[in-house]
Formats: sequence, structure tokens, C-alpha cells
Amino acid sequence: MEEIQSKSRILSIQNLIIQFKLRGQVLTAIRDISLDLYKGESLAIVGESGSGKSVLVKSIIGLLEKNGSVAQGRILYKEDDLTKFETEKDWLKIRGKEIAMVTQDPMTSLNPLKTIGKQIEECVVLHQKLKGKEAYQRTLQLLKDVGIHDVEKRYKQYPHEFSGGMRQRIVIAIAIACNPKILICDEPTTALDVTIQAQILQLLKNLQQKYGLTTIYITHDLGVVAKVADRIAVMYAGDIIEVGQTHEVFFNGKHPYTWALLSSLPQLGAKGEELYSIKGTPPNLFKEIKGDAFAPRNPYALKIDFEERPPFFKVSETHFAKTWLLHPNAPKVELPQNLQAFFEEGRRFAHEY
Amino acid sequence: MLWYLGKRLLQSVVTLFIIVTIVFSLLRLMPEEGYLGAAAEKMTPEQQEVYLTNLGLRDPLIVQLGHFYGDLLQGDLGTSVTYRTDVPVKTIIAEKIMYSILFGLGAVALSLLVGVPLGILMAQMKGRWLDRLGTGYIVFVVAVPAAVYYIFIQMYVTDLFNLPMLFDEYNPVSWLLPLTSMALAPTASYAMWMRRYMVDELNKDYIKLARAKGVKERTLMFKHVMRNAFIPMAQYLPATILFTITGSIYIESLYSIPGMGGLLVDAIQRQDNSVVQGLVLIFSSLGIIGLFLGDLAMALVDPRIKLGKGESVR
Repeated sequence: MEEIQSKSRILSIQNLIIQFKLRGQVLTAIRDISLDLYKGESLAIVGESGSGKSVLVKSIIGLLEKNGSVAQGRILYKEDDLTKFETEKDWLKIRGKEIAMVTQDPMTSLNPLKTIGKQIEECVVLHQKLKGKEAYQRTLQLLKDVGIHDVEKRYKQYPHEFSGGMRQRIVIAIAIACNPKILICDEPTTALDVTIQAQILQLLKNLQQKYGLTTIYITHDLGVVAKVADRIAVMYAGDIIEVGQTHEVFFNGKHPYTWALLSSLPQLGAKGEELYSIKGTPPNLFKEIKGDAFAPRNPYALKIDFEERPPFFKVSETHFAKTWLLHPNAPKVELPQNLQAFFEEGRRFAHEY
Repeated sequence: MLWYLGKRLLQSVVTLFIIVTIVFSLLRLMPEEGYLGAAAEKMTPEQQEVYLTNLGLRDPLIVQLGHFYGDLLQGDLGTSVTYRTDVPVKTIIAEKIMYSILFGLGAVALSLLVGVPLGILMAQMKGRWLDRLGTGYIVFVVAVPAAVYYIFIQMYVTDLFNLPMLFDEYNPVSWLLPLTSMALAPTASYAMWMRRYMVDELNKDYIKLARAKGVKERTLMFKHVMRNAFIPMAQYLPATILFTITGSIYIESLYSIPGMGGLLVDAIQRQDNSVVQGLVLIFSSLGIIGLFLGDLAMALVDPRIKLGKGESVR
């Protein structure tokens, strides 16, 4: 815990609001988020579809859709405020070079008409200032790094000659080829089958160490999170409602939405019973949200949850949650039996290590 | 690859044979008065019978076909009967084919030069005024029958810029209007396809990844998008080129261009079988070659397509 605190901040998002203009209406996709990223850590941003995970990282790399814009806040990286970037030239200082991305679907993420070697080399030439033979050698090395064999032959092949897992390795090689400081992995394993998923996650972990990367995982797969993340940020309706170290969020979660997420893990379901699912639907982001966005679906909601937005309450040095339940005056609530058991077992398990 | 080429060549020959045989047989079903033309009234029935027999029209169809293909194999297309009596068909076509080829290629070059860049610009300015203007043009050209705007161009544009109304081989200015008129439709379709394929490509995931890795927008356009968008076009290109060469019948008659388009109509009206057969042979060969070249071009530019025995497309 202290270890991470001592590490330096590499990226800082402060009071960020991102809005989209859609058919004359304004959609607020990111509602006042603050988040720090520390050097060398791996942070997982989890949340359901439409919670704003992707929008958040796209704003870091300057790839928001044209109708989206930063309405408020700052994204500090080194000495720059990324929200002030307007021209392509500004962003080219960041994209790839400082922050690279591994995209979701390896089947469509590669140019079908260029050899994979050329696609990786494009990055090497662009960001490592190598040319000709050197660039070629570097590309072969990268292919080896991501676990591809027979690299000289593979260099000359086209994406359709590779399987899904192999292509994801190539996408990763492209990201690494840029020599970035931060690597964003946007659902890196969603499109892959389970056995390959584990391999890719292991690969990403190894590369993170080898190249000293700071990684951000975007996912809705809590299994992925448990395997790779040091810290978790839970997003709901465009807001981060809980953030903390992985074991803190997993085994001592404080926000009712986190509880609900964990309760829907298949591991927590009892055999023969229906799996838990969160009732209701996420709020309409076209409308202004009053109070806690999760309140209407929250069985533990207090009266104040419908009226005032909760601030972050501190649980530990590294663990914060936005729920009024943490207010000193809030009533005590009983967790569901199975979640309580899961927490206790997890804490015991974490303690042993 | 060689195996594929051989197979396609054989297929082409068979297709050509079927087309020519059908046209040949259909021509033999035409009323016989047509062969005699205005001379019919001056001939007795016996004279008519002798004339038709001399033309070989009294032989069974299979024998006539045999003669035709026998001559064809020796490179002889026969002689014209009524169009220009006793002149070899080859000579008649040779005189005219150059005009058609020149106009055809000129129109294609013009439409490629204008259409493809227009499509690219439209894709990049999607939804803005240039895109709308271009779309308006495309809709106009597709919706209004070609004959209508051809005539309007001939009537009013000649006045406006004081251009000659008829084609004159030795006056380069007179090439301008027929060429432009011919290029209007293919320009629209090139622009339309190019725009469509560009927009398709721009929405693909690999473009997002390329942006994320820090590729400049301009490099992205030239190295990734344009090339990939052009590939589906490669398939149609040869076919449209050849279609334009053969498909200028109306323009040729409007501007009195002595090309092949008008020839076919004339020959059919005068029931000159050997000229019609010769032309059908040439037109259908061009069409088949076009399709073949299209497939070949596609295979050459797209690594995902492999031509040949047993090589499956993964």
C-alpha cells in the first residue's frame, strides 16, 4: 500500500466533464471525474456498457468522436494539460509515443492489406527513429517479445494468416513498438476465447514489467481485473463511484453498486438458484442526474441519495467510495449473506499472503 | 496462378462461343425480305431465291455455322453484304474502331481523374457542402436519362462557349463536348464508389488503431485508407473502361463520330449478318476480357485473394 503511495503520479485527471452533442441534445458521458494514475501500476476501470470507461480513455489519447468535447476539468500529463490540445500536431506528441492503446477486437484492428511486419515497423520508424535494417531487426525482436515464433516468415504475412490470439499479440506488439509510458488496454481479451485470454493477460503482465509500463485496463470482466490489476476504479453512469486497491474493492467494497457487481459474479451464486442481476436500468445521461446516480436501483438507498451527490469518503489511504452510507450519521446496513461470506473469505485469503 | 489463367481463358472461349452462336442463330430467324432491301421489287421470286442461295442462307443452320467458324479460325470475318457490298468486315471495323477506342479511353481517363479525387474529397468532407454538391451531381446523372442531358449539352453548351456542334477529326476543340458528355456518368459512379469505400474504410477498427499509434491523418489517408478503398474499385475498372469504349452509340450518332457504335445499328437495320456477327464478336470479347482483367487486378492488389488450384481463401 505504501509502495504505491510513494510512487509518482504520471497522469492526473481532475474534475473532468465530457459532453456529447447528439441530435440537438447534450449527453453528459463523464460527470466530474478525478483520478490519478501512478507510475508502474496497473489500474483497471470497470463498469457496465455505457458507463463511460471508453470515453474516459479516449479523452486521454485525443480520439473522442467529433461531437464530444471536454466541458470542464484537466488531464495533466507531464507538463501538459491534454484538454487544451486542439491540433493534430499537439496530439501526435502523445499518441503512441507516450500513451499507446491495445484495442478490443484483434480481428478487425489490423489493416488487412499490409503485412503485419510493416504495420509494426510503421510504429518503430515513427516513434523509435530507427530506419531500414535497424527498424527491421527491432520489429523482429518485438514479434519475439509478444511470443510469435518463426518471426522472419511471420513478418511477411498478412493479418488473415493469423488466428485471433496471434493477431491480438500483434496489436500488442504495435502498441509496444511505440515505446509508450502508458499502455491502455481497451477490453483486450473480450473477443478471445478463454484459454487465449489467460495467455494474453500473462503476456501483458510480462511486458509491463519488461518495459516498465503503466497500464490501464478497461473491462467489464471482473476475472480479468483480479488477475492483472493493482487498483480498481468502478464506474457507474459516467462517474467513478469507488476506487481502491484490488483487494480493498474486491473484499471490502463499500458502494452498493460495487456490492451489486460482485453479487452478480457466478462464483457467488448458489447452485440451482438464479444468478443475481441488478434491477432496473442505468440512468438516462441526457438528463441531469440528482443525487447518487445509482440510488433508483439501490435497495440500500437513503433519502439523501436522491437529493445530494455523495462526495468521496475515505476508507483507507488508498480506498475511497462515493456513498452516503459511509457518512458517520448513516445507518448500518447488513450485507447479503453470500457477499459477506465472500468478503470474509477473501480477506482471510489476502491476509495469508 | 498459371492453372487459374488457363482455366479462365478456356471459360472465356466457351462463353464467347455461346454468345456468338446464339446471335448467329437469331440473325437467321429474321425475315428474308430484309436481305433484299429496296431491290426486292425489281427481282422475280426466282432471282430472289438464287440471291439468297448464293448468300448461303438456304444451307442448314449447322452448315452455315460450320462455314462461319471455319473462316473465323483463319482470321476471316467475311465480307459485308449490304452495308458496303463486298468490302471485308475487318476493313470496315478497322476504320472505325480507332475512334471508339480513343473516345472510350479519353472518357475513362477524364472520369477517373475527376471522379476518384471527387470521391476522396467527398468522403473527407462527409456531410459538408462539397459532399452534398457531389451527391446532388451523382443523383442528377443517375436519375436523368443520359439522352436528355446529352442533347442539352449539345444544344446549349455549344452556344455558350461557341463550340462546334459536330465532330471534326482535325479540330481538337470538337473532341471536347462528346468526351465530357461521355465522362459524366462514369465520373459520377467513380465518385460514388470511391466515397462509399473511403467512408467504409474510415469507420473500420484498424483506422482507430492506426490513429492511436500516432500516425498522422494525412499519412493515414494515403497509406491506409485510399489504397484499401481503391481495391474494390480495381475490380470494376477494366469492365467500365471497355463498357465505355463500346457504349458510346448515342454520343457517336449525336456528334457524327464515325465510330463503331453507329455501325452496329446501321448493320442491324440493313440486316448485314457478317458485319453484325463481327461486331458482336468484338464487343463480347471486350466485355469478357474486361471481367477477366477485373478479377486479375483484384487478385494482384489484394493479398487475401489467392488464385490457383487448391489454395483456399482463409
